[in-house]
Amino acid sequence: MKVAVYWGCVIPTIQYAYEMSVREVLPKLGVELVDLNDVSCCGVPLRSVNTFASLYLAARNLAIAEKTGLKDLLVLCNGCHLSFSETLHFLKNDKELRQKIDALLMDEGLQLKGSLRIWHLVDLLHDLIREEPIKNSVKKRLNGLKFASQYGCHIIRPSRLGRVDDPENPRKLDELIEWLGAKTVEYPEKLDCCGALLLLSHPDAALTFAGLKLKAVQNLGVDGLVNACPSCHMMFDMRQKSAGATVGAKLNLPVLYYTQLLGVAMGLEEEKLGLHLNRSPVDELLQKIRQVLSRYN
Amino acid sequence: MTEEVPSVLDLMTNKRPDSKLRLQALNKIGEHKPYNCYQCIKCTSGCPAMKMLEIKPHEIVGLVRLGFVEDVINSGIIWACAMCLKCKERCPQEVAPVDLILALRNLAIEKEVKVPESPLQSVSMILETGFVQKPMDTVTRKLEKVNRDKLGLPKFGEVSEKFKSTFMKALEGS
Repeated sequence: MKVAVYWGCVIPTIQYAYEMSVREVLPKLGVELVDLNDVSCCGVPLRSVNTFASLYLAARNLAIAEKTGLKDLLVLCNGCHLSFSETLHFLKNDKELRQKIDALLMDEGLQLKGSLRIWHLVDLLHDLIREEPIKNSVKKRLNGLKFASQYGCHIIRPSRLGRVDDPENPRKLDELIEWLGAKTVEYPEKLDCCGALLLLSHPDAALTFAGLKLKAVQNLGVDGLVNACPSCHMMFDMRQKSAGATVGAKLNLPVLYYTQLLGVAMGLEEEKLGLHLNRSPVDELLQKIRQVLSRYN
Repeated sequence: MTEEVPSVLDLMTNKRPDSKLRLQALNKIGEHKPYNCYQCIKCTSGCPAMKMLEIKPHEIVGLVRLGFVEDVINSGIIWACAMCLKCKERCPQEVAPVDLILALRNLAIEKEVKVPESPLQSVSMILETGFVQKPMDTVTRKLEKVNRDKLGLPKFGEVSEKFKSTFMKALEGS
């Protein structure tokens, strides 16, 4: 199956581990990724500045993706996923806005039909590829391990737009983890925000958001936090030390992308999954996985 | 949205509401419906930024509904929202406080009041490169310096010149 893929800003400029692991793992599940040319920012950073221009950016990227003739667009970043879903929603309900955006797109010879199915990694794996192929791709089951999940706000809210999972009780990422043989835990802070979008304007508050959640997850006694959002990863993995310092906690919680965990279970090389790039202490977790594997497999 | 501004007076400041500014805020793109609000405070009780930065979405909605838009914008509190979207999800009246906050941010930038640097930096970066940031060098846990090329990732895309001029038009055409 061929899908167009939109990477956004955060993933291809700094969150390389996500891009590497997605590029490694998806082809193994029969998904061929088609990169897009001439795409730009998804529009999210401009929502605060000029909503019209932000919607235009989203519409332009969607129009470029439609030009490939493919039916499915994979949007890996939660913010970009929200931006695209919201733009399609606004354009459907506001004729005047639609005309203005269409005119701008015409300038570049682009046209937006709104025909694409938009996927995030979580629902692409859970709802399109589904349980059997994922379970079959696993060479080493992660029996005996326990993880907490991190969805990221923008793929579960607002539900009126049609999101990837339930806004108050998301389960798909947990099920994806369980399909690899590991266990997941429910915890009261599961829906808490990582604070990423406050990082530039209110850094202390943002790091407190992240620190409090990490502290809570660490206290669960889990083997790690499995993540599906690049902005959350930036807070929970890259900035784990400063987040801990902000809330006065000594944090050493392994944080990794779901695609990294899936890759490990598939038996892929750790370096190809970008596991040398995580700043959180994943070495101990990887060591533990090796031990568990030799015990169970 | 055409309802008259109630004839109220802010007893602390002796200020009257501004109906023109209120209409400007309400005409911004979004799903904000402050008139539906019955001040149940569900938004504020679930707001994560309220705990740390004392932003109160129900107050913002209430003030805009009355027409005290300038006070909200000038206070700078609209920049304390973390965009978690819980208020929009949970509001029983579909008021969408977060959308109102975004509309007020757009208005604040138009009026050039109390705007943090980062949103404007995003605009200039997008004009320059199409994205808000360029690919950065980073280090592995063993402190080895790496970049896209070294990690075996394909070259980062560039946007066309045509994009930049159309984007300028979009910025002006709101």
